[in-house]
Amino acid sequence: MLYFVSLGLLGLLSLSIPVGITLFLLGFGIDRLFSPFPLTRGLGSMVWSTSDSATLIAIPFFVLLGEVLVRSGIAERTYAALDKWVSWLPGGLIHANIATATMFSATSGSSVATAATVATVAMPQARRLGYDPKLFSGAIAAGGTLGIMIPPSINLIVYGFLTQSSIPRLFLAGLLPGLALALLFLAATAALCLVRPALGGTRRIFPLAQMLRALLHLLPIVALFTVIIGSIYQGWATPTEAASVGVGGALLIAAMFGGLNRKMLAESLVGTVKITSMIMLVVIGASFLNFTLSSAGLSGELRAFFDDLGFGPLATLLIVVAMYVVLGFFIETLSLMVVTIPIVVPVVVGLGYDPIWFGILMIVLIEMALITPPVGLNLYVVQGARRDGAMSEVMLGAFPYVLVMLAMVFALIAFPQLALFLPASLQ
Amino acid sequence: MNPPAEADSAATPDSTAAERALRRLRRWNRGIALAVGLVFLACAGLVLADIALRRFATSLGGTDEIAGYVMAVATAWGMAYGLLELAHVRIDFLRSLAATRTRLLLDLVSLATLSVCVSVIAWRCWPVVATSLKNSSRANTSLETPLAWVQLPWLAGWLWFAAMAWAVVCLAAWLVWRGQFRTAEELVGVTSRRESS
Repeated sequence: MLYFVSLGLLGLLSLSIPVGITLFLLGFGIDRLFSPFPLTRGLGSMVWSTSDSATLIAIPFFVLLGEVLVRSGIAERTYAALDKWVSWLPGGLIHANIATATMFSATSGSSVATAATVATVAMPQARRLGYDPKLFSGAIAAGGTLGIMIPPSINLIVYGFLTQSSIPRLFLAGLLPGLALALLFLAATAALCLVRPALGGTRRIFPLAQMLRALLHLLPIVALFTVIIGSIYQGWATPTEAASVGVGGALLIAAMFGGLNRKMLAESLVGTVKITSMIMLVVIGASFLNFTLSSAGLSGELRAFFDDLGFGPLATLLIVVAMYVVLGFFIETLSLMVVTIPIVVPVVVGLGYDPIWFGILMIVLIEMALITPPVGLNLYVVQGARRDGAMSEVMLGAFPYVLVMLAMVFALIAFPQLALFLPASLQ
Repeated sequence: MNPPAEADSAATPDSTAAERALRRLRRWNRGIALAVGLVFLACAGLVLADIALRRFATSLGGTDEIAGYVMAVATAWGMAYGLLELAHVRIDFLRSLAATRTRLLLDLVSLATLSVCVSVIAWRCWPVVATSLKNSSRANTSLETPLAWVQLPWLAGWLWFAAMAWAVVCLAAWLVWRGQFRTAEELVGVTSRRESS
């Protein structure tokens, strides 16, 4: 069954069958070949009970929140404001790219939306100020990936839903590693630009008055983030409730900056429906595959498989990490996550690892998948916003940040508290 | 008879018929998507109102339940729009290496597979609704919602998705047959460079 699932998965995916449909097909196959009783009879009620979910509706809410913010023109203001605060560092404006991406990811649950927004705002500046395009664009691609780590994160909602772990705890677990990654990105940029100043641009120091005035533009986003995460942390609101507060807040911010109109709202709404349908097809497919796999007894077979290999927990974990790095060259974030969760999570949890912690580790690994060639979505998004120059420049520029992420993977393995400290304080 | 080769720019009467049909599908589904989006927005408003009322130690009651129904029905009806916008993620690493004809063949196979699979799902959804109708089942909640009321629109959404999927396959096959490769690829190709998260 293990071989059937793995080969079937790779085969169907490489035929370019839609990921969600691949998951359903594998479920049908397992039902036919390995299950003593018919499982597809329950398909209808599976689909109903998966989508009839007050938890999952947080996904369209968070997507809508991001869509509204992206279209409200607030990205430009945030970027300009952060430029005043961080451009004195070696590397100049590159730090503003990372900082803007970090702030945007703190409200938008999506990495690609974050990268696309920052790239559109930042790339013209690079040309104007004569930056070397490599590190500049690589920093946007890498900074954008933080969108799925820093809460609220749509990927963490999906992970929590499929593994039945607490979404508030996952959100809290992602906070420290997400911020740490952002700081490490800044530090790596500064270090690189100290050694090779040509990689960055002019450092600029702004008068204090300007810096303080810039803070005003950052305030709405910081307030929105604090309300969303604060209310979840305090236990006042479920993620769904916090998300609806976020939608209200985003509309308010957009109205405040004069970006709210009918056309923009209509575009945000259909954009939300598009992304939600894409997410839900894979989520429903994964739920169904999950159900067939556990009914047919995959976890027992997996345990036997790993017992036969005779590796310890740590060695097995490292194999899993290596597998994600390799798969990440070809498959993207949500798909990679959803197709591997039914197989990998039972194994890892069976080895005694914490599912919340592993969720965060997996997020770092799939963030890496976003910026590793040949298939790395954020690389394409940034390249798309650049309109000229070679794709390889973005890939090269993102490479230092891949190394930072790898370091983060090992830091998480060595110090699980990095992720588990905050959720533990919730109890 | 051989199908004419690349005739993308030639606006034969047939090609405009195919394009008209395509435009109509897009218009319908965009309309539906807008309606679904408005329902999401209204639902967010409802949840917000509930939170506000809680401060006065009262509540609308049943907000969670309604949110769940909204999610189920909205998801089903949004799927076809996702299909027309090429939102349903495909891994196109190998596909992108292939030549135009092979690529379109893969697209058609993959879309046909989707259509069959979605039809099976819609067919398997019927017993859920049938049971609710037969037993006049109500949700085990304070609202006691008659389940068929929410499950019928949900089933209709999946049927619509299946119907749209078949329509897209037929239209794409027609376009390929006519040699309008570019239009066909816009309809069933991959723009996976815009996955959501």
